Amino acid sequence: MASIEIEKLEKSYGHVSVLHGIDLDIRDGEFIVLVGPSGCGKSTLLRMIAGLEGVSKGEIRIAGNRVNDLHPKDRDIAMVFQSYALYPHMSVAANMSYSLRLRKMAKEKIGVAVASAASKLGLEPLLERRPKALSGGQRQRVAMGRAIVRQPKAFLFDEPLSNLDARLREQMRAEIKKMHGDLKATSIYVTHDQIEAMTLADRIVAMHGGVVQQVGSPLELYDRPANLFVAGFIGSPGMNFLEATYAGGSVKLKDGSGIEARLPTSIQEGSGLTLGIRPEHVVITSDGSGRRAAVELIEPTGFGIILHLSLHGIPFKVFTLDRQALAVRGEIMVSFPPEYIHLFNDEGTRIG
Amino acid sequence: MMTATGSINGHSVRKPWLRRLADASEPYLYSAPSLILIIVVMLVPLVIGISYAFRDIQLLNPFSGGFIGLEHFRELSKDAAFYGALKNTLWWTGASVALQFAFGLVLALLLDKPFWGRGLVQALVFIPWAVPSFLAGLNWAWLFNPVIGPLPHWLFGLGLMSQPGNILSDPQYAMWGPIIANVWWGIPFFAITLLAALQAIPRDLYEAASIDGANWFQRFFSITLPFLAPTIAITVLLRTVWISNFADLIVVMTGGGPADRTQIVASYIFTQAFKALDFGYASAIALVLLVLLLAYSMLIILLRQTLLNKD
Repeated sequence: MASIEIEKLEKSYGHVSVLHGIDLDIRDGEFIVLVGPSGCGKSTLLRMIAGLEGVSKGEIRIAGNRVNDLHPKDRDIAMVFQSYALYPHMSVAANMSYSLRLRKMAKEKIGVAVASAASKLGLEPLLERRPKALSGGQRQRVAMGRAIVRQPKAFLFDEPLSNLDARLREQMRAEIKKMHGDLKATSIYVTHDQIEAMTLADRIVAMHGGVVQQVGSPLELYDRPANLFVAGFIGSPGMNFLEATYAGGSVKLKDGSGIEARLPTSIQEGSGLTLGIRPEHVVITSDGSGRRAAVELIEPTGFGIILHLSLHGIPFKVFTLDRQALAVRGEIMVSFPPEYIHLFNDEGTRIG
Repeated sequence: MMTATGSINGHSVRKPWLRRLADASEPYLYSAPSLILIIVVMLVPLVIGISYAFRDIQLLNPFSGGFIGLEHFRELSKDAAFYGALKNTLWWTGASVALQFAFGLVLALLLDKPFWGRGLVQALVFIPWAVPSFLAGLNWAWLFNPVIGPLPHWLFGLGLMSQPGNILSDPQYAMWGPIIANVWWGIPFFAITLLAALQAIPRDLYEAASIDGANWFQRFFSITLPFLAPTIAITVLLRTVWISNFADLIVVMTGGGPADRTQIVASYIFTQAFKALDFGYASAIALVLLVLLLAYSMLIILLRQTLLNKD
C-alpha cells in the first residue's frame, strides 16, 4: 500500500490538451473516486497513473518515488478494466495467477494466494472455467480477483461496473466497499455514476474539462458544491438554478421578486448571481405562501415523486416523499428554505 | 354429380401419395442443384484423373489407353527420380513455408504498430502477391543471372561467392533460387492474414498484461501467440499444400535442373505429363502426392483439434 501524489500533471495529444495541471494527494489506504462526464479526462488521468499513457508535463509519485518514466509492469499497481480484459485462453485460476507466475513466485504460494482471493470473491467453484463460460458478474469478480491476488501498491478501477445490470451493479458496489474495508488498499476508482462515487468514496474528485473542480468527501460535495459544475453534477435529480441579481441589499429573481438567502458579507451591489436549490429541499406550501409554479409533468419513482414545474418559465424540479403530490394539477406554491439555498457568483464559484 | 364425387375421391386417394413423395424428396430436390454442381465440377474430373493412374495413357502411342492395374505404381516404387523429387519437395516446402511464415510474422508485427504512412505501406506489402508467378520466376531468374542480374556480383562482393556465378546452375545451391523467389512472393500472404488476426486481439489485454508485469516477450508468448495459433495453423496448412503443389517457379527458373536437383514432385508430374507426354504415369504420381497431402492435412487437423480441446 502506498500514497500517490500527482503534481501539476498535464496531458496533451499533439495540440489538443486533455488535462490542465492536476494536483492531487492520495493518502495511503484512501478510496478516491474520479467522477465527471465523459471526456472530462478522468480515464486519461487513471491511465497515466497506471503508466498506460505517457505524462506530458508534471509528476506522478507512488510511495514517494517518481514513476513518470516507469513501465506499467514496474509500478506495482493493479487495474480492473471496464471490459475486464480477462485472458480468454486461460482458466479463471490461470487468469488470477498470471501476475504471480510472471514474478516467479513458488507454486504453493501462488495456490494459497489464488485460493484466498477466490474465497473472498466466491469464485472457488469456477476456478477451472474459461472466462467465456462465465456471466458478466462472474467475469467482473475474476477481474477483481486478478487485482487482489498480489498485494499491489494501489488498485485502479476504470468504470468496472458499467457493463453490469443495475441490480448486479448495486451488489458489486457493496462488495467493492466491503473489500476496501478489509484490505485497506489505496484505490482510485473512475466512474461517471455519481451514486457509485457517493457511496464508495472517502474523497471524490469531481473533474470537468481536464480540470479538477472540487476534491472532498461525498457529503461536502453534496452540501457545499464549490461551483456550478459540481452543484449540477452531484445529486439526482439535479440541482435547480435560478438567475438572480443582488440589488438594494437583497437577492432579486428575474421577475423582480425578492428572495431570502444567507448572503456573504462581501458582495457587490448589482452583481449577477446564480441561486441553486436541490429538488429535495424545495418545500411545497399549502398556506398560500411562496411562489407560484405550473406543474408540467409528474414522475413517480416509487420511493418519491419528481414534479417537473415551470417557474417564471424556467424548468424546475421538486422531489418529494409526499404521495399527495401525485394528485396535484395546474399550479402549486413552492418555497425555498434559506438554509438550503446555494449562491454562486457570475463566474460560477460558490459564495454562500 | 357422380363423376365429380368420383374425381374428388380419386384425388383424395392420390393426393396423400403424391404429397408423401413430395415431402420425402423435398430435401433432396433443394440440395440437388449444388450436389449436381459439385459432382460435375469436382468429383467427375477427379475420378477420371484417378482412373488415368491405372491406365496406360501416352499421347504419342496410339495403342495405349488400356487398363494396366498397379503397373504405374510398381514402376514408381522403383523410380529413383521420384524419390529424389519427394526429398526435394520436403526441402522446398519446408524451407519456403518456414521462411515465408517467419518473415510474414515479423512484417505483420511491424505493421501492427501505428506509424506515419502505415496505410500506404500495408498496400505496398501486398504487391509481390499480385505479381503473376511466372513473371516472378522470370524476374528472379534474371536477378540470379550474372550476365544481367546484380545479385551474383553483390554476393561475390560480400565474399559469399568465389566468383559471380549463377546459383541456379550450381547443383549444390540451385534449390535456393526458387526458394528465395517463393519466399519473396509468399510473404504478403502470411503478413496480411497474420496482421488481420493481430488486429483482432483486444488492446486492453496487452494493457492488462503489462500491468500484471509482463514484458514484451511475455506478452507475445502469453497473448499474441495463443490468439494467432488458430490462424497460424490454418495458414501454414494451406500454404504447405499450395507450395508442395506449386511448380510454376521451378519450371520457369530451373526446369527441375541442374540434374534434377530442383525437381519436386509437382514439377516431376509436369515433366512427365507435358515433356514425356505420359499422362498415365503423371496421374499415378499425382495420386501419390494427393494421398501424401491428405495424410498431412489430417495430421494437422488432428493436431489442431487436440490443441483446441486441451485449451
